[in-house]
Amino acid sequence: MKLNRLYILAVFPLLFTYSSCSFEDQFDPNGASLGSILTEATAGELNLLVTGIEGRMRNGWGTYVTATGSVARELYLFDADPRNTEELLGKEGATLDNNTFYLTAPFNTRYTAIKNCNLLLDALRVATGDVDEMEKDAYRGFANTIKGLMLSQVLALLGDNGVRIDVADVDNIGPFIAPAMAYDMILDIMDDGAAQLQGSTILFNLSDGFEGFMTADKLFEFNRALAARIAIQGGLYDRALTYVNSSFLELNGAIDVGPEHIFSANAGDILNPVFRPPGQSGDQIIVHPRIVPGLMDGDTRISKFALRVDPSVQDGLTSDYESALYASVIAPIDIIRNEELIIIYAEASLQEGAMPDAVAGFNALRAAHSLPAYSGPMTVEALTDELLYHRTYSLWGEGQQLFDLRRYDRLNTLPIDRAGDQVFSQFPIPLSEGV
Amino acid sequence: MQQYLLRRVLLAGSFLLMLGVTLQAQFTVEGRVTDSSGEALIGVSILAEGTSTGTVTDLDGNFLLNVPDGVDNLIMTYTGFASQTVAVSRGMAALSVTMEEDVARLDEIVVTGLASSVKRSNLANAVATVSGEELTGVTTQQTVDGALYGKLTGVNITQTTGAPGGGFSMRLRGVSSLSGNNQPLFIVDGVYISNIEIPSGSRNASGANSGSEEGASNRIADLNPDDIESIEVLKGASAAAIYGTRANAGVVIITTKRGRAGRTNVSFNQDIGFNTIIRKVGRRQFTPEQVEEEFNAAERARFEAALAAGEVFDYEDVIYGEEGFITDSRLRISGGNEKTSFMFSTGYRDEAGIVLNTGYERFTTRLNLTHQLSDRIKISSYTNFVNSNSQRSFSGNENEGGLSYGYTLAFTRDWVNLFPDENGVYPDNPNFAGNPLQTRDQTRNDESVNRLIQGANVDVKLLQTDNQVLRLSLNGGIDFFTNETDVYVPETFQSQRGVQNGFIGEGNNRVFNYNYNVIAVHDLYTESGINFTTQAGISYLNFANDFVYSQTTQLVQEQTNLSQGAARTTDQAESNVQEFGIIAQEEVNWEDKIIATVGIRLDKSTLNGDPNQFFAFPRASLALNLPELGLIKGDFFDQAKLRIAYGQTGNSASFGSLFTTFNTFTIGGRNGVNLAAQGNPFLEPERSSELEFGADFAFANNKVSFSATYYLREVTDLLYDRALPTSSGFSSEIRNDLDLENRGLELSLNINPVRTSKIDWTSSFNFWFNRSEITRLGVPDGTDAANDIPSFTPPGVAFGLGLGSFFIDEGSPITALWNNGAEGPVITGDTEPTFQFGWANNISFGRFDFNFLAHWKEGGDALNLTRLLTDIGGTTPREFDDLGGFIEDASYFRLREVGLNYRVPLQSNFVQGLRIGASARNLFTITDYSSYDPETSTKGGSGLSTNIEVTPFPSSKQIYFHIGVDF
Repeated sequence: MKLNRLYILAVFPLLFTYSSCSFEDQFDPNGASLGSILTEATAGELNLLVTGIEGRMRNGWGTYVTATGSVARELYLFDADPRNTEELLGKEGATLDNNTFYLTAPFNTRYTAIKNCNLLLDALRVATGDVDEMEKDAYRGFANTIKGLMLSQVLALLGDNGVRIDVADVDNIGPFIAPAMAYDMILDIMDDGAAQLQGSTILFNLSDGFEGFMTADKLFEFNRALAARIAIQGGLYDRALTYVNSSFLELNGAIDVGPEHIFSANAGDILNPVFRPPGQSGDQIIVHPRIVPGLMDGDTRISKFALRVDPSVQDGLTSDYESALYASVIAPIDIIRNEELIIIYAEASLQEGAMPDAVAGFNALRAAHSLPAYSGPMTVEALTDELLYHRTYSLWGEGQQLFDLRRYDRLNTLPIDRAGDQVFSQFPIPLSEGV
Repeated sequence: MQQYLLRRVLLAGSFLLMLGVTLQAQFTVEGRVTDSSGEALIGVSILAEGTSTGTVTDLDGNFLLNVPDGVDNLIMTYTGFASQTVAVSRGMAALSVTMEEDVARLDEIVVTGLASSVKRSNLANAVATVSGEELTGVTTQQTVDGALYGKLTGVNITQTTGAPGGGFSMRLRGVSSLSGNNQPLFIVDGVYISNIEIPSGSRNASGANSGSEEGASNRIADLNPDDIESIEVLKGASAAAIYGTRANAGVVIITTKRGRAGRTNVSFNQDIGFNTIIRKVGRRQFTPEQVEEEFNAAERARFEAALAAGEVFDYEDVIYGEEGFITDSRLRISGGNEKTSFMFSTGYRDEAGIVLNTGYERFTTRLNLTHQLSDRIKISSYTNFVNSNSQRSFSGNENEGGLSYGYTLAFTRDWVNLFPDENGVYPDNPNFAGNPLQTRDQTRNDESVNRLIQGANVDVKLLQTDNQVLRLSLNGGIDFFTNETDVYVPETFQSQRGVQNGFIGEGNNRVFNYNYNVIAVHDLYTESGINFTTQAGISYLNFANDFVYSQTTQLVQEQTNLSQGAARTTDQAESNVQEFGIIAQEEVNWEDKIIATVGIRLDKSTLNGDPNQFFAFPRASLALNLPELGLIKGDFFDQAKLRIAYGQTGNSASFGSLFTTFNTFTIGGRNGVNLAAQGNPFLEPERSSELEFGADFAFANNKVSFSATYYLREVTDLLYDRALPTSSGFSSEIRNDLDLENRGLELSLNINPVRTSKIDWTSSFNFWFNRSEITRLGVPDGTDAANDIPSFTPPGVAFGLGLGSFFIDEGSPITALWNNGAEGPVITGDTEPTFQFGWANNISFGRFDFNFLAHWKEGGDALNLTRLLTDIGGTTPREFDDLGGFIEDASYFRLREVGLNYRVPLQSNFVQGLRIGASARNLFTITDYSSYDPETSTKGGSGLSTNIEVTPFPSSKQIYFHIGVDF
């Protein structure tokens, strides 16, 4: 009996019956998806984004401070990564890499926070009915305020390279805008934020770092304070003076008042990235040797620096002092405080020709730091030196020195620690930007 | 559903069965089969030519077969021996057959499909096979992947860490993927097993950038190399197409040892040995003047004080100078009868590393059972349990953790005293963030695995007639394991104080994979001499991972429990992947003259954007045996074969690539979210197309065989993470518009120059190289500049172009190292070896066996960032002062394995064999590379990057003594 081969082949299709079973559409078991927030955002979801903005502003700040601080010779970072003492200090012809952590970490984290601001602004358009217009304005005002701050930090980092401002649409990212125009655009965002905050109703909670600033009025003053800083950076001194006067400036008030970044060891939170344990070797923020000797006798800002038991030596660099800026790993970092507003007031006044106002500001600072009133010459040069003295010591280790020295063309006066070192004035545009 | 299917198939099969019963006249042939020394060969397959009638020889080598009328020849085959054709006729006397060893392995059976196999002499692909003897016969092996070094062409193996417990990266025919999976698919007795590297979370204490920098071991380490009967490596798409979307990086098919009918064999092997560092790099030597010059006067004073006190140390020796004791015990019992056979093995390996308190321990048991349920149904079960534990401590890259030995030593000056005082208090390291002696004595980075691999196979002969066989193969298995990781750094540790104040990280990771396939195979023998093998079936797999990681910092003093700290966090990463495939393949064999195969696999996967869309992966191959075709005189060549094969395979994106998901974190106790990577919900698998052609020759009575293969492998629509302009708020996106080409040549020569009754010497030479080129990035040739993708640095593969990195650039090799140049990035090195060469020798003289394996890798650069660190720390040995740059030639010549065994003469019925011997691994290496081992990868094994070194755990060399007894 011969068997027809076709019979046998008929067996095979039976095997395929299984193929009718189909797989379900996939979802991510590990987190919420973007789509859910961009359709019918609830107040709870909007608040997640607000907390996201406040939390993510802190990321990368440690690198922002140490990278710009190293270039500006206010500090060294002696740690495991050799590039902190090589590339940042231009050792033996080294250049700043456009694809390395000291640039990408601060740059990326600024834009991560900006993304959250833009997402929040987007989500407000589709927010559910339980959020009214006045409440939406508060969200908008907060988003625009932080967006402006983040953009100004990028611009300060990149200098003449400019900043990308229009980044809401991932497929159509705007161009890099040169500083002159960029400052105007960023201040416009700040002004939008200020207008939105005024008279708005706040539905969201910020952390305790904003204690005393959790009202629409106080957030408005916070916005104006940041706008004043940005205006100073853009050389727009008249606007700076207007902004600082609507901020929480108190010439003779406590200098430490202002919103802060807070840190904790709680689940999901981060630690103060600029703190290093006292006496620690191998990972320490070292005070540049030019800093401590420049302090005036009796200036209490010496407390920011601690003498090391052993001088630190690494990669041919030596210094006797380490940072004592923060007391512990959960110490807060100021976002902006009255002390800086006083300096801004003084600087803007000086630049606008109001020397007595400038001196009043300096004297307020001097009093706060146990120094006698200013007795130097009433010249622009002398007062500019006085200004830079305060900016150097009041804001040491807070990511502003590189910008200050660049603005006043003082980078060329910095000491060269090792033969062949170079002082850079700004960071390059990251490689991934593709420009 | 599967059972339902099985029932239907069986029903259909038994119906067909009834139709197929036939009766035929037959005669009986008996005989005995021995090897050249007269020893009986047990289990030789004997087949009546042109039929499916056959038997196997028994314990004494005897057989008895009822041969159908009209059959003229019996074909005898036995693994490792050349097959023989013996003429038979009705009424002939008992046969006496002597089989010859087969150097060319023409008759070796090679598994090529999911349920079919083919004789090597008919194979159209260069499928490399490594026998258990080749794998473990020379010396004791730690891991299966590590044991393959130099034994196969086309394979590039890199040891990613020297820490006990392994860590290997295996690449077949170059890079095939950018999105993470360059490791081949491993299949053990039909079970798809996981080769994942699971990080321990030590980065959260050490500051390493990613899990890939933790130097985790890959889970192939769990297999006991001694259990393996053979390993087949399907290197490229042309051979592996039938495995579809899992096979882009090749397939490694592992078959474990089986029992054979007959006497029960018991064998026990015991090895003892020791690990020592492969080489010492040395430390920078100083005079007081030199100390002052490089550091300062104060440092000179300290140096002089230490000199006076006799307290200048060699910390490299203090840390890496241990002789780690190794013991490896293996017991194997195998046997069976005509119906049932078994193989039971158990092994225990305990190995101490070259750093005190590091080590690896593995306990394995295996039971392989085969039972012939009836003439038509055979069932097999393969059960493997593994318990492994490793203490790996800290090595590799880090940031400010002060934990990694190499990183810490790079900055530690030999004149600081780091030894604990009389109260056991470890002094702080004034030069770096941690005291390496405290790391060694008081921290933990441990890993523990409990793993069960269960495979099962049911083979049903649905139909057997004189000219056809229909077989159904049901095959499946489970790979289940739990992996527990445990990292502990005490609160007293230098870098912990004032920050984390003590660290505990525990991972509880569960992997549950299962797969099955149902394949029908139909063999048809026609009178024209053309035989057809048809197979078709389905395949399903389900991989589920659930990784939970818990961490506590701010510890209560001296406590090591997760609950004993103020700051606790938990992370969970789940993934679940399902894939379904349909397979069909037709093989046509015309009297072993021409063998042609066509096949296709259709796969769908939940990793693709559309989980229900099938993707087709075709294959076709042709082999021509020239002597059989009469094109070459047959009496000189035992084999002369030309072959060509083409095939496609795929690879889906890694889990999660489809989704744009928020990260969660907190500030002030409130939850916040932000976005990181942008997912792509429309992803399709990347596809590798390979054309391979070659020739195989064997002559001089199979004493010489030569094989040459050239391949051209094009990977199209590669999936890759590309850094987006980060101003978009996304760090990266996943794309698939990149094409990559690999081409290479593989040559192997096996010779048996001396074969006498006293001396038998076989020697094999393997030579191979691979070249790659990125042929498309974005728009082809950048023809549409506005839409083209600029060259880019893949995320996470290196440390930036300032130090040297991989860089994706159209027209350049994917393995090149690049640095910043005056006008943009320039190529400064290439990690791809110029060529590799393996030379294995087995020499038996009398009762001695002498074996060695040498491995030469020529070319291939490595980026030595260890030296960058020692330069900054002032600890680089002075002999390397004049090396410019950090990219170095990583060529080497290494004696990988060498062994000498003696078979003790015995007069005993109880003890059948006794062997004693000594062997070594990595006994010596010749290289100009300035660090421990030119083979290195600080970024682990799975991704694009190897050959970047940051202070690895140094490799070791091992020396063993063996004793083995057979009962």
